Amino acid sequence: MKKYLYIIKTQIIKRLTYAFDVYGNILVQTIIMITSAFFWKALYKDGGTAGGVDVDSMLVYIIMSSVLSVLLITNVEKRIEQSVQKGTVATDMMKPVSLFGIYFAEDIGTIIALILQNILPILLIGSLLIKVPKMADLRDLPIFVLSVLLSFFINWFLAALFGMMAFSAVNIDALIQVKKHLIRLVSGSIIPLWFFPDPIANVLKFLPFPYIYQLPLSIYIGRGTRAEIFTGMEIQLAWAVVLFLVFLFAQKQITRKVMVQGG
Amino acid sequence: MKKAFKELGHYLDVTIQVIKMAFLTIVEYPANIAGWMISNPIQFIVGFATIKFVVESFGEINGWNYGQLAFLYGLSVMSHALSMIFFVQGWFMGYFVLEGDFDRYLTRPMSVLYQFFFTNINIFGITDLIPGILVFVYGCIKCAVQVTPFFVLQVLVMLIGATLIRGGIYIFLGSTSFYTKSTTDFGMYTQEIMDKTTLYPISMYPESLQFILTYLIPIGWVSFYPVSSLLGIENSVLNGMVVPFVTLLVGLLVITLSGLFFKAGLKKYESAGN
Repeated sequence: MKKYLYIIKTQIIKRLTYAFDVYGNILVQTIIMITSAFFWKALYKDGGTAGGVDVDSMLVYIIMSSVLSVLLITNVEKRIEQSVQKGTVATDMMKPVSLFGIYFAEDIGTIIALILQNILPILLIGSLLIKVPKMADLRDLPIFVLSVLLSFFINWFLAALFGMMAFSAVNIDALIQVKKHLIRLVSGSIIPLWFFPDPIANVLKFLPFPYIYQLPLSIYIGRGTRAEIFTGMEIQLAWAVVLFLVFLFAQKQITRKVMVQGG
Repeated sequence: MKKAFKELGHYLDVTIQVIKMAFLTIVEYPANIAGWMISNPIQFIVGFATIKFVVESFGEINGWNYGQLAFLYGLSVMSHALSMIFFVQGWFMGYFVLEGDFDRYLTRPMSVLYQFFFTNINIFGITDLIPGILVFVYGCIKCAVQVTPFFVLQVLVMLIGATLIRGGIYIFLGSTSFYTKSTTDFGMYTQEIMDKTTLYPISMYPESLQFILTYLIPIGWVSFYPVSSLLGIENSVLNGMVVPFVTLLVGLLVITLSGLFFKAGLKKYESAGN
């Protein structure tokens, strides 16, 4: 455990030195937040509700979606790809730490650094320029936090599993882009699934993606009944467990493959 | 006069050769382009699906229905793709400045800016062009557009103008590297801003922002004004058949100004000991 804490610490220090990256992400998130705020305001011009949500809740939704997107930054795909391309993966595996443990610790370190560097500025900019993203019901805070944690794990395991494709495909840059765009659409990060046509929304409900953004954000803005939320969280938990098991299995397979290749 | 024609002919010859070479790179790296062939269209199809789902739930956005938005979206993606093919290098100009790569171009008897863009044609931009055309054709059908020769001319003129505006903006941003001596890669931010201001009608933004997008950074002319004119949607700045031609004028103006800014920057580069 101590080893991983050390990796987290180094990663935090590393991230804190790359200042421009940080401002860049704040800038992009600000552009996205503000333009989508105008987009939703134009749509809700006549007031009222759509999909059971009014314009104020929708604005909170997009601000919190920007915040969540920072927590869900993963670098594990890129790391796997690079280590496979450079061939460092074999030596990394000989180190007395688990390969994916390193990647996980690095991503955690990045996020801790970003909480200060990105999340606070985004929240501040969003509050000043759009509206203060107050939670609908503060008593839901514990389940919101729990749900964000689960969504973090779902997202990370998906990314890791995806990155493992680099072991057979070597160059997965284009695939990473495809995954990014598809997840943006089907996770509810840009538009909530309640605006989707029913058949599509009903299928997506059973996939892990809406539980990355949509579920925690719905809890935050207080959409849906208690029962609906708990059902959602059960599915979320189930997906987190399933993906974890698949991840463990795939990790074993990959390790064996590299060991054979490396002699 | 004769000399000018001869020189123009020379530039044309070189352009044709360069485009031929660019196509050869596709043959060289088929797997690479196959990946982008899937990933780039998906980006725009996802973006378009977003608009479709939302606008169908609400009916319209600022008086634009869903077919009209498809028309706007398609044309905007097409000019984006063209600017990716011919002008994307502007994003990376900073690296050329810092690495001293312009030295190579300076020794040759052709315009530096021409060489910079045309010897680096990014043929992979075609992967963006295809989804653009698809969405545009879909929009034409949804809006029941009458395809007359004049309509085709208007579309072509506005596409050229829009590509020049985008290209001019890339050149301008890239040329700032001559002064800042840094390699800031503006690509991601330019792209994000351009997407949000050309894929949707800018009438949804507050008037101050619309003013900036019309007169200061003329992104509004890339798609919003010409498309409004083509579809007969009223706006408060300029209406009528002439708008696509105004786009071309704005494009020529922007690219000329950026070219001058680049030239001024290049002088600075030369004086830095090269």
